[in-house]
Amino acid sequence: MTPTVLMAVGFSMYAKPLITWRSKITENTMRWPHLLIGLMVALPATTMGGQDKAPAQPKDKDIGKSFAIPFRLTESGHIMVRAKINGKGPYNFIVDTGAPLIFVSKEVAEKLGIKAEAKGMNTLESFQVEGGPAHPKFKCIIDTPPQLEGINALGLAGAEINGIIGYTLLAHYKMEIDLTKDRMTWTKLDFKPPVPVAIGDKVKDGGELDAMGKMVKQLAALIGSKAAQPPAFRGFFGIQLEEKDKGVFVKEVLEKGPAAKAGVLKGDRILTVDGKKVATVVQVSEILAKTTPGTNVVFAVGREGGNGKEIIITAGEGL
Amino acid sequence: MKRQMTFAIAALFLFAGWSLAEDDKPFKVPFETLKTQHIVIMVKLNGKGPYRLIFDTGAPTSIINNKIAKDSGVIAKDAKLANGGLLGPVATNAIKTLEVGELKATNISTIVADHPTVTLMDKALGPVEGIIGLSLFGKYKMTIDYQAKEMTFVPSDFTPPDMMKSVMAMLTNPSPAKKVVAPAGQWGFSVTKDAKDTDAGVSVKEVFAGGAAAAAGLKAGDRLLTLDGRWTDTVADCYQAASAVRPGMTARLVVLREGKEVELTVKVATGL
Repeated sequence: MTPTVLMAVGFSMYAKPLITWRSKITENTMRWPHLLIGLMVALPATTMGGQDKAPAQPKDKDIGKSFAIPFRLTESGHIMVRAKINGKGPYNFIVDTGAPLIFVSKEVAEKLGIKAEAKGMNTLESFQVEGGPAHPKFKCIIDTPPQLEGINALGLAGAEINGIIGYTLLAHYKMEIDLTKDRMTWTKLDFKPPVPVAIGDKVKDGGELDAMGKMVKQLAALIGSKAAQPPAFRGFFGIQLEEKDKGVFVKEVLEKGPAAKAGVLKGDRILTVDGKKVATVVQVSEILAKTTPGTNVVFAVGREGGNGKEIIITAGEGL
Repeated sequence: MKRQMTFAIAALFLFAGWSLAEDDKPFKVPFETLKTQHIVIMVKLNGKGPYRLIFDTGAPTSIINNKIAKDSGVIAKDAKLANGGLLGPVATNAIKTLEVGELKATNISTIVADHPTVTLMDKALGPVEGIIGLSLFGKYKMTIDYQAKEMTFVPSDFTPPDMMKSVMAMLTNPSPAKKVVAPAGQWGFSVTKDAKDTDAGVSVKEVFAGGAAAAAGLKAGDRLLTLDGRWTDTVADCYQAASAVRPGMTARLVVLREGKEVELTVKVATGL
């Protein structure tokens, strides 16, 4: 098939629903956004059993200890932490009191060679949340709930979500969550959390969540949204800055750094960056905030004795 | 509010040791757990109820079913709602007052919908009429203690995001520009990691003389494990962690050097 034919096929298959979809947005039909948010509610409908009775364990040395757990609120409104499974990762997890146990996505389990055993469960050698202690021999379920599939297909969270941390782990801690901060405090309790009990077989999940998950995946294909991409990082210049005399000055030039190679000297006054006048360090940072390594940036500098000049610095790698 | 703040600050000076202003006394909210160990709370909406709702930190907003939405006046009894398909009739509205335990909140955004999982739990475990999520707890500094079966809430400056707006923005612009992460201050070193390298940490490639990391004793060849308490298992991780450390702050680096973990303290510089 020639590319033109392919495009024609593509067009006839996708263009019509795409247009319908766009017009639905403009009509402000509330169904899709509600469906999406409904799906984003991480309340996995598991009818599976929880942990078996935990074997007697020696007194936990971490009881009473507090841990600073880095987190961020994703664009999808979820509290995300990172965790290592059997020492590998880290992977992204949602902190979810709406989940009875730990969910590890099928993709991650496969990558790590973790197999689902009875009822889809597996006992991980170790599960460790960033900033927290490792939990040895911890039970999880190997499953990708439709919510995660939907969130990931649309890249809703801004990062791929690999699983959910639920009650069986969270209940070991008193959690203190302040969304104005970038860390939570988890204090280990002297507490054996009761085992969650399955809802039972008499109530069956009608498959609505799965249906929602499928619809969202179709939607992702229709609107051409992509899974979350890893971020790029800013380039390195190798200058320390200070503000004085209503201007920005080079306080230090790091040896062998990009600025040193370009001929910037300690004491130079930075007049413009990329043609824009600067009077504060924040202005310099803002102008260069999205400058990636390899980019050439023109700095106009003033130097004692009046021989100011333009210097081109090629951003390097570093932090 | 400003006057109260001023008083609170003044009180701090006069009575050292009083760390909490009267306004910051935490509101206690007791909860029960279902046999599935979901947290349930008894919540009054607009003075009606109480209704039995699930408390869910994994919910980016709150959801109440059509029945209690009408009963509590969150939507009018004769309201004609959009057809939400699997979710039944749907709407987005505000709960004027929400009371639970000692906490009284106003103007909490909620979705009105019959969420299939809520309906399932309602059938299996007795009345469950909805989910309380980020639209409430995002406004507070919160603690959750499963042992004491109690949560506490202190008002915070955080404003929960409007998920309806976020989702609409995402739908109309599904592929936002690639993000660039910038360190907040200058550390003065670079890192590298081979694609095949799956061990913990990243390798320190270059430490720039005259920089903050060099002053702290970082060396090329060190294996950087954490930066400011965050794992650094990819190059991007290092930048992400460094984006949270402001210039002038001190932060710890943990490196593996000749098989031993070494801790270094870096005073982050102003620069880039």
